[in-house]
Amino acid sequence: MTRKIATLLVGLMVATVSQALAADPIKIGAFFSLSGPAAAIGTPTKLVTMMAVEKINKEGGINGRPIELIQGDAESEPTKAVMVAKKFINVDKVAAIIGPDLTDLGMAVKKMVEDAHIPTVMTVGGDPVIMSGGPLGTCHWVFKSPQRSSTAVEKLYQYLQKNNLKKVALIISSTTFGKDGKTWLEKLAPKYGITITANESFGPKDLDMTAQLSKIAAGKPDAIVCWTTGPAGAIVSRNTKQLNIKIPLFQCHGLPDPKYIELAGAASEGNMMPATKLMAWDQLADTDPQKKVIKEFVHLYNDVYNYNTQFPINTHSGYAWDAIHIVADAIKKAGTDPAKLRDAIEQTKGYLGVSGLYNLTTEDHNGLGQDSMNMVRIENGKWKLIP
Amino acid sequence: MTTWDQFAQFVFSGLTTGSIYALIALGFCIIHNSTGLVNFTQVDFVSLGGLMMYTLFLGLGLPLPAAFVLGVLAVTAVGGLVERLTIRPARSREITVLIFITIGVSILMRGLFKIIWGKNQMALPSFSGDSPLIILGAAVLPQSLWIFVITLLVVGLLHYFFSRTRVGKAMRATSFNPRAAALMGVDVNSMILLSFALSGGLGAVAGILIVPITTLSYDVGVMLGLKGFAAAILGGYGNVVGAVVGGLVLGVLESIGAGMITSTYKDVIAFSILLLILFFKPGGLLGYGEKQKV
Repeated sequence: MTRKIATLLVGLMVATVSQALAADPIKIGAFFSLSGPAAAIGTPTKLVTMMAVEKINKEGGINGRPIELIQGDAESEPTKAVMVAKKFINVDKVAAIIGPDLTDLGMAVKKMVEDAHIPTVMTVGGDPVIMSGGPLGTCHWVFKSPQRSSTAVEKLYQYLQKNNLKKVALIISSTTFGKDGKTWLEKLAPKYGITITANESFGPKDLDMTAQLSKIAAGKPDAIVCWTTGPAGAIVSRNTKQLNIKIPLFQCHGLPDPKYIELAGAASEGNMMPATKLMAWDQLADTDPQKKVIKEFVHLYNDVYNYNTQFPINTHSGYAWDAIHIVADAIKKAGTDPAKLRDAIEQTKGYLGVSGLYNLTTEDHNGLGQDSMNMVRIENGKWKLIP
Repeated sequence: MTTWDQFAQFVFSGLTTGSIYALIALGFCIIHNSTGLVNFTQVDFVSLGGLMMYTLFLGLGLPLPAAFVLGVLAVTAVGGLVERLTIRPARSREITVLIFITIGVSILMRGLFKIIWGKNQMALPSFSGDSPLIILGAAVLPQSLWIFVITLLVVGLLHYFFSRTRVGKAMRATSFNPRAAALMGVDVNSMILLSFALSGGLGAVAGILIVPITTLSYDVGVMLGLKGFAAAILGGYGNVVGAVVGGLVLGVLESIGAGMITSTYKDVIAFSILLLILFFKPGGLLGYGEKQKV
């Protein structure tokens, strides 16, 4: 009996609290890989979306209406991602979608959100989701908050050019993300006077890359560039050390993460990669306008929500935060009518986020420039900004 | 690096992963021999070995040899429990049903690991440092040597166990004909329990040995297990020597395929050769061909 009364009371309390939060919440669907191989990226991303929504709601919501976040698990699998997206569109009838977090998954749901006319801001690394034409379809309704692969490639190539590293060997993951990186690495090489001397690949779950690396080392390149996310990058780093290869190793913008140092161990020493300013943010110049934004984000993440005990901040941490804020700002301006909301997202100008200064255009559904990234090097197990 | 050095490198890399495939393949074999089952929880025994090592060595700070032995024993016990709790109650059912049970248990175990150890990737230190030794021009990790030595040791012990000891002989008798063995006074139930425990232990050894090289996650055994399964088939499913040969051959094929031909199609190369071998020798390299088990 007491249990029943307690349940009733709790029910009443929940009801009154949610009524106080205005009757008509704005539904936003958010789905990331909470299980499967990408769970370690997807889970903290989900936590960040919750943190961002809580902040917005605490500050009065969007024009008085709170955001209701509907979460889904994409399970690191395209088919599962499609099912969740379908549910968001048909059952929950969300105003906008945030996620998914892997390029493979993004490509799987792209056509569906395009057909359903749902503004979608993905947190994927690869560019094909915001490219159109031929097999890529359209990208009218899809945006993404992480830097384009091409932006990261240019950042990296600038560094190589400046340091006179001309012969580059590639070792690339066989995922959509890896292939996208490879496309840009090959396409942009001539612009920076770089020749690609080797082109090796590996599976995202492979456990040993010494065969590929010894082949690469035999060609004596000036630099090795590895393009992958997840633990495979750390294995490449370990194998490089194991084979006693002295050629500098560069990783992509997907790997700056304390986990990388932990997994690769001493082998990670001296590895370089393009990263968002979130890595080594305390080394940024005080004049950098982003420093303040990042400081606030880091404070919330580490000190208020204590997410860092399980998921220390990495280069991806800010993407979902920025995605939510871009959508929320657009709803503030244009309401939830899909077409108007989409236009408003596309017209986002000067949003200073954790991951950079966003200026979106019709052609650029990402809006981040090279100035949003830095090159970092691992020195004594710490991330160090390099000029 | 000369071509020869490169070749030596590919062979050593291949033998390292190949030894692990071999240990896993052995686990598959032993259970197959005693029950006729394909035991899908084998892959989780591998993961659990690595995870236990993580907890015992890094979490509780036990010395490495103690953590190793305790880890293997723990997974051995889990192997026995899997048989006792899930297989034995259903053993009168068809083989297919039992195989499905192992798939279910495998999914359950993976879910539990995820809850207990979390989704994050973990790293374990090597047994004795990371500075490679140069052997025949190839850089070989000390961990690889550990893998070779322990695999050899395990295979030797298994051979001794099956050919010289009473219990080993009883297990072989059970695998040939459980009914006849039972009539001769062999406790068939115990033999099957033992085979699961043994496979658990073998999986754990494989997991503990490889994770310092590959990094660790709750599902690290899945990919390895798949390759180990392929290795068991390549060697002739159920053949103990074949499992070892199959593992080593598959590992070296992969590595040479990636290094000498193209890394994009390294799995295609390895598995095409596997298919070709099975095409001409359906029973596997050392299999008994079409012959029915008695």
